[in-house]
Amino acid sequence: MAEGKAVCVKDLPEAIVVPSEHLKFVNRFTVKRAETCISCGMCASLCPYGVHKRIEGHAKILPPDDRKCIGPSCEVNYFFCVANCPTNSLSVGPSETFVSLGDPRWSSEMILATWAQAETGKPLSLDHPGNIGMSGGGFDKLFFKLPEEKSKADPDKICTAIDLNRRDSVAKIRIPVPWYGGGMSFGSVSVHTMVARAKAAKMWGTFTCTGEGGYPEALAPYKDHVITQIATGLFGVREETIQRTPIVEFKYAQGAKPGLGGHLLHDKNTPEVARMREAVPYTSLFSPFPFHSVYSVEDHKKHLDWAHAINPKALLSVKVSTPNDVEMVSVGSYYAGAHIVHLDGGYGGTGAAPEIAKKNIAMPIEYAIPKVHKFLQNEGIRDKITLLASGGLRTAMDIAKAVALGADGAVIGTADLVALSCVRCGNCESGRGCPRGIATTDPVLDKLTNADWGAERISNLYRAWRLQLCDLLNRFDMDDISQLRGRTDLLRHADRPAKEVRK
Amino acid sequence: MSLAHRSTAWEVVPLTYERYHVSTKSVPNRAAPIPKFVIIRSDNCINCGKCERACIYGVHKRSEQDPRKMADPINNLCKNCFRCIQDCPQRALAMAPGPDYKSLGRGVWTSLRISTIWGESETGKIPVLGAGYRGRFAGPGFDGMWTDMSEIVRPTRDGIHGREYISTSVDIGRKPQLLEFSADGAMRTDMPPIVELQVPVVMDATRLRSFSDEMLAGFASAARHLNTLLIAPVGVLPEVSDSDLSGLLVPVFPEGTDPRGLMLARGTRMAELTFSPSWKQDLKMFRSQYPFAVVGIRMNADKNVEQRVLEMAKASVDVAHIIFDEEGVEPDNPEGRHAKDSLRAVHKALVAKALRDRITIISGGGIAAAEHVPKTIICGADVVALEKALAIALECRDCVTCSKGSCPVGLHTAPRDWVEGRVTNLVGAWRDQLLEVLGAMGLREVRRLRGEVGRAIFFEDVEREAFADMTGGATDG
Repeated sequence: MAEGKAVCVKDLPEAIVVPSEHLKFVNRFTVKRAETCISCGMCASLCPYGVHKRIEGHAKILPPDDRKCIGPSCEVNYFFCVANCPTNSLSVGPSETFVSLGDPRWSSEMILATWAQAETGKPLSLDHPGNIGMSGGGFDKLFFKLPEEKSKADPDKICTAIDLNRRDSVAKIRIPVPWYGGGMSFGSVSVHTMVARAKAAKMWGTFTCTGEGGYPEALAPYKDHVITQIATGLFGVREETIQRTPIVEFKYAQGAKPGLGGHLLHDKNTPEVARMREAVPYTSLFSPFPFHSVYSVEDHKKHLDWAHAINPKALLSVKVSTPNDVEMVSVGSYYAGAHIVHLDGGYGGTGAAPEIAKKNIAMPIEYAIPKVHKFLQNEGIRDKITLLASGGLRTAMDIAKAVALGADGAVIGTADLVALSCVRCGNCESGRGCPRGIATTDPVLDKLTNADWGAERISNLYRAWRLQLCDLLNRFDMDDISQLRGRTDLLRHADRPAKEVRK
Repeated sequence: MSLAHRSTAWEVVPLTYERYHVSTKSVPNRAAPIPKFVIIRSDNCINCGKCERACIYGVHKRSEQDPRKMADPINNLCKNCFRCIQDCPQRALAMAPGPDYKSLGRGVWTSLRISTIWGESETGKIPVLGAGYRGRFAGPGFDGMWTDMSEIVRPTRDGIHGREYISTSVDIGRKPQLLEFSADGAMRTDMPPIVELQVPVVMDATRLRSFSDEMLAGFASAARHLNTLLIAPVGVLPEVSDSDLSGLLVPVFPEGTDPRGLMLARGTRMAELTFSPSWKQDLKMFRSQYPFAVVGIRMNADKNVEQRVLEMAKASVDVAHIIFDEEGVEPDNPEGRHAKDSLRAVHKALVAKALRDRITIISGGGIAAAEHVPKTIICGADVVALEKALAIALECRDCVTCSKGSCPVGLHTAPRDWVEGRVTNLVGAWRDQLLEVLGAMGLREVRRLRGEVGRAIFFEDVEREAFADMTGGATDG
């Protein structure tokens, strides 16, 4: 174990501050200045935060820079601009732009906190509002019963690494953080986004995944950190892309559209994407569902054997969605030879999916993890397979909760994109794609992201997450993330007061 | 769907096989759209035009009258990407949730659901969007329910892109449990009347707050090419000479109608009586006059609904049309059950007495989104009645005060073709989404979905299974 720990903390990247000027547009509060302002400059001389500024020689004071304002709670201060304005021209209130950002699952606090982590690499405190969404269920209702802090965590002494292969066959692969990047196809995202994720994966010794849209050559330099996905469309699946990868992932289903094939709407199927997918440009591509070669666990085994024959060194991962019988599917996958079972819950991310499928088909991941974990335990095979969870895991605390519910680790998608400045506007599916250049293949828009910048931001996010996990483990007197697995006794559900169920 | 018969033993006639399909075409909105977000441009804008270059949706344009100035933002094109706000050198732009959008809807009829129905009725397409689910984790009623899907151990069906055919047809009426034949092979069973629909969705205008003749005529033509039924009070059904069309119209007779004096138009296949204490006699008298029409009894759901439906099944009523309120809850009862629970109780009671196929259940009320159709059917209904959704399809803003003339979208001036197109689009889009759900579950016909509670996931159950051993987690109590 000691040796394992050394591996765990060796050569992890340091944070580099990667600011993003353009992400500073969100202000929590608005400062309004009425017409009655006489530009006397009183507010400018008072405000210590620099909201108000008056340039000598200008007739008018500059408009307030409300990003710096601390809000109405400032009224206790002697320098509160609203109270001191001689003409009563100022008012401070909540910002509507802030309200317009985010949704119950990814609240505006969470988006801003993720941006801040991507910029600085500094972890959130365990009680930060950005740790939790406002969806009113699942992870957003689960809290850790945190003991008092005894000592500061020493991240060098805490191991967050997980094994991806618990079988005796083929290579042992250990990743220093309990997550890797989930599949996002070329076509759904730009090649810069893919390269940024692959670079970050390389920096962290973890992985990213090609998604179903083929293996762009730009990813080849990172081939030891790129998972090749085989999905039902078999787009761009070739012998060499299976042979060059350390992990082959079979995507049986995706949480955001369980039971439905991948969607790439016509606008985004640009000639380059179409070439990669060997399809006709500007046609909508709907992958078939399911793999018509797999109607049973026996067929499934043949599938895995086929990949094993092409690349005997690769680990085999099976990505499944969360139906009622997800535990049977997981056990079947184990007996078919899979190393990793990757559960993708219903609330997962997507580049395009029917709205009806996102909420209504298959259960949220929070229910599937304990179901599968307990079932594998009862089968006596829990420690022979790696259970990864995805689909609605947004923060490091979500990952920790997933582990406490019984997963070994997590697969991350949307959070990577938020680190790249995604605002979750949800327009990835059509037209030219993402107006922010992340989920697009438009030759003009994709210039908005830069792979090096993006890799540093994702790396910073990973660093912040690891430090936050260390902080959490330290609180529980743990020094290895595996000790947290299945510890539902450390969680509390916020729906009912604790005393009701204590006997 | 029809199969041509071979005329002789040796002559091969090609089989003609026609799949049911709802053809849809774009039917644009008549009213001005309600923007979800509004962009506010403040006075310190210097008209530099950076927002025009930043926006890929065309929200920002220079003023046509005075190109030195920026025009007001076209808010309904805004997709909430914040690019103009981030690029504005003056910080002159701000975004706010649209006030009209925010005040739209109530209860299960959320602003999102209403605007989704508008979109579906305009395009006839399945709403497909990027990014994952954005809403609440779960909720009351149907929001606390997920449908199952199949993978690896069961094949799914790829129905939506036409690669496999999934049937959505249902039969309305009593189905005999067995057929009896005489010694010479002639069938002795009296076949009860049955109406076959191609979609498990009927239109019910009975409870619409207001309607015009044009609207009803539009609904009726939509019913014709959707191959479904239009249910409406007997006095207001459009007069039709064509008996094909009158077969699609279902008159509702109010409580207290004397069944002896009741007249059905030629070709009518189904009628509904309103529940009254004397329903058994009413039924008998109606049957003696019109033995070949399917008879439904319409009733408000309440805590005894399962008992009443049982009695009706025993008395060989063809259809129990169970009515819920706009929220999908048993009406007139503050502690009423949601349709999800009410229908499950009805279905279970019928199955327990081996009477399930002796009666058809139509459920109406609170059907506000495409997913409510499969969920209602899973809970035990055979057919779902669209009510308020029909008005929303016509851009109704659900503002309650619809005395004639004050409607903000002029519902009463809607021409019949437009109504027909909008409703067809809505049903087409919802049927396609039903196919998505059926396909994901691996079902090839909607009849198999009825009462399949084992292929659904209920919030209370999974919450208990997953979190029962956790402090504060769900318990049996």
